[in-house]
Amino acid sequence: MRFRILSIIFRKELVESLRDRRTLFMMVGLPILLYPLLIFGMSRLQESQQEAQQQRESNVAVWGAMPDELAARFRDAPRLGILPWAEVPAGVRQALEAGTVEPPPVEPPRREADDRDAKPKPLPTEAWARAAQQAILDRKADAVLILWPGFSSSVAGGAAGRATILYDSVRPDSTTARNRLSDELRLWRIELTEARVRERGLPQGFHQGLEYESQNVAPQKRQAGMFLGMMLPYMVILLSVMSGFYASIDVTAGEKERGTMQTLLCAPVEALEIVGGKFLAVWTITLLGTTVNLISLSLVFSRVKLIPGMEMQIGAPTVLLAFVLLLPISMMVTALFLAVGAFARDFKDGQNYLTPIMMGLIFPLVATMQPGIELNAHLAFVPVVNIALLIKAVFLGEWMADMVFLVMISSICYAAIALVFAAQVFERNNVLLGGKETLGGVLDFSRTPGARPTPGVSMLLFSVVLVIAFYASLSLTKLSVPGMLLIVQYGFFLLPALALVYAKGYDWRETLSLRRLPWRGLLGALLIGLSAWAVASGILIRLLPPPESLVKALEKILMMDDRTVPLWQVWLLMAVTPALCEETLFRGVILSGFRRLGMWPALLISGLLFGLAHASIYRLLPTFFLGVLFGYAVWMTGSLWAGVICHALNNGLMALLARSRETVEQFGLAGQKYLPWEYVGIAAVVLAAGLWLVRGAAPQRSSTTA
Amino acid sequence: MIEIQPTLRAESLTKQFGAVLAVDQATLQVNPGEIVGLLGPNGAGKTTMLRMIAGILTPDSGHVSVRGVNIADHPLEAKRMIGFHSGDTQLYRRLNAREALQYFGRLYGMPEDRLNARINELIDLLEMRAFCDRPCDTYSAGQKQRANIARAFLHDPDLLILDEPTTALDVISGQFIVETIRAEKAAGRAVLFSTHIMGEAEYLCDRIALLHQGRIVDQGPLDDLLERSGCRNLTDTFLKLAGREVAA
Repeated sequence: MRFRILSIIFRKELVESLRDRRTLFMMVGLPILLYPLLIFGMSRLQESQQEAQQQRESNVAVWGAMPDELAARFRDAPRLGILPWAEVPAGVRQALEAGTVEPPPVEPPRREADDRDAKPKPLPTEAWARAAQQAILDRKADAVLILWPGFSSSVAGGAAGRATILYDSVRPDSTTARNRLSDELRLWRIELTEARVRERGLPQGFHQGLEYESQNVAPQKRQAGMFLGMMLPYMVILLSVMSGFYASIDVTAGEKERGTMQTLLCAPVEALEIVGGKFLAVWTITLLGTTVNLISLSLVFSRVKLIPGMEMQIGAPTVLLAFVLLLPISMMVTALFLAVGAFARDFKDGQNYLTPIMMGLIFPLVATMQPGIELNAHLAFVPVVNIALLIKAVFLGEWMADMVFLVMISSICYAAIALVFAAQVFERNNVLLGGKETLGGVLDFSRTPGARPTPGVSMLLFSVVLVIAFYASLSLTKLSVPGMLLIVQYGFFLLPALALVYAKGYDWRETLSLRRLPWRGLLGALLIGLSAWAVASGILIRLLPPPESLVKALEKILMMDDRTVPLWQVWLLMAVTPALCEETLFRGVILSGFRRLGMWPALLISGLLFGLAHASIYRLLPTFFLGVLFGYAVWMTGSLWAGVICHALNNGLMALLARSRETVEQFGLAGQKYLPWEYVGIAAVVLAAGLWLVRGAAPQRSSTTA
Repeated sequence: MIEIQPTLRAESLTKQFGAVLAVDQATLQVNPGEIVGLLGPNGAGKTTMLRMIAGILTPDSGHVSVRGVNIADHPLEAKRMIGFHSGDTQLYRRLNAREALQYFGRLYGMPEDRLNARINELIDLLEMRAFCDRPCDTYSAGQKQRANIARAFLHDPDLLILDEPTTALDVISGQFIVETIRAEKAAGRAVLFSTHIMGEAEYLCDRIALLHQGRIVDQGPLDDLLERSGCRNLTDTFLKLAGREVAA
């Protein structure tokens, strides 16, 4: 791929898309208009409705004999209109006056918090209930208060008078009436019971037994964050990806419809350059849309109080972090849009094809709006859901660096898979020319005997392996450390790598660098393996010190849960196994895929992927460094065995130090947080010697270069 | 005797779409300074064949080479020597002709100063000055065709592939395009050209290939075709050959 051509296509696509009014509207117009309209509109509507309800008098039909004291209280109550016996059918009135009707039975007190089987109380089937329901639904009354026979005498005689309020929970006016009635009855009850206590000379609080109250400890910022976190991920993600919706269709199906796709295919450009340029242009538009969205949101929220008395400021750091989190998800959706859009014959067709993707986004986003769903290790690898939950955590101020890292890695993996899919589609000229091609045809990774993997295949392998290995290790936590390690290493690292080489018919020797390691290379690899860890941990760990919990977790793994296991078994499991499996995957297939980019890009990318696979931001730098070093040894010697030896020695040394207290004390490392500088210095010299040795050990240099 | 290397050599090209055999074992050659016409009814496989030759579609079997460069092995190098134009190749509606030409010139790797000079030269040659700075979606059919021809000629290709370049044009615009093609031939370019208009083919082509149901049923200079068919003109020849083929 030529970056100059990529940049030419990118610039043209961007200019053309930005001249499209639909794209501009979705990118800039919609967020600028929608948020103020939605938020201001919502809050104004809510306010005016609340205001109107507060102003309006509640009409309450009271059925039953009302004591004078209660009638006087209702008269004095603000905005409460009492309509005695209003809308009551004659039969019901007669029964209430004659005392021939029974109130519904009193329900025994029960626990409500964890009562999952609790059902809403059904409406009784008696005539009074149906009559009250009719009166409320016909809006003849906002609520009906039934004072059951004997109400006045019970209250006067020191017992409890029975009353029932009937209301419609769906109608705000009815709910307000219920609340006003409840308030008055509650306050009257307090007065009554206090008077009874006084009359009988009982201590204060006798009738209550105990007093308790709840106090919300959530700071205002958290409460606002909870509210924002429930609503905003949905809106921000959806509107951001919507920015690129029209542009995606325009540069794929739109181009096919207008006949410009064929014009581009005539030019001396590669399919990857076309898809790359188009992808970058649409992604840029999506990111511009994301920026406008976030700015518009933060401006609107700084002006509006959605919850009375609550400040909802979205600060610059929150906006920035939300933007970073939206990078991979917008990348994934853009790539999917392009790949699927390319199948469409025309613009209209494109809209039909892309709408299911939008729907596929909406469902997980709605799920994340539910209260109580929080980000955890399992959800960190679920696409879309992970980003939405992380944005929610960001608004709550509860994000952790390692969780952000996990979410970003997994999202980048999904984005990479989507990108490889898009590239695969654009490789099919027949699709781009409007011909028919099934999805299966596009996904057919045919055998190319004797070839080597491409960067796309390497990226795809890494992404798929990482996601599967992550879920597998989560589900294997009940196994012992050795059991889990063996399954992950051989089952999820080595096996997929070898299966890919076999299935695609790649050249085993070239892809996996299966060559004899010359003596000089062997010596170099030994020196690198012995010193690389010391340099990595001595310098890089100082830059970003890992938390104690991570160090303990790593030590636990290196201990294999058990100090009594012989050291040779530890080495076999902790050193030899990862060296064989991870080197085959990373320095074998993955590095081989990136070879065509040249030595340093290939080493840096494969090293970065090796670092990312260790799934912790604190381990990223050291493992990236080690990945590059091992890759250099393999590249220079042309033999995978150089990487295997480096890796095995590196891990073996770590396992030895973790297990052998004597060795640690012997080297004076006990109680040291970091490796002393003098050791780092010595290790750096040994490492330099190792690198020098492997540099000159290239028996088949010509065949190892791109 | 020195053998001239043909600009285009297409050998045994075959392409199948599902159950439809679009092109079947088609072989064709175009020499420098020669115009070869590809004639056939709708659905004969002309467009598919021209797309394969231009490297836009990959043939199921067969080879294409441009000045000895195999297009399957070195697609970018071969495409640099081809200028392709068909009714399906359009320009970007939100760019103007000048911007579109600059875009393609850069994709062909032309240096900026040479590119701008060439664009101005083509704008004058194809009489595009009046509209070249307006967006392409405001052009008439004839203006679009000229802008497209300019795009195909832009990088001075050795081989011009023109798929029905005069379709949907009025007589004046059509004649203008025909004369432009003659001028390109005079400049030593090889031209492969498909048309429905027999008069155009008779006037322009040094050799004619007749394509029917994906197969080249006859090819050669016009006089040879007429002699072999015993017909008075190309229209009759075409009908006769096609009919004979159908009957067979």
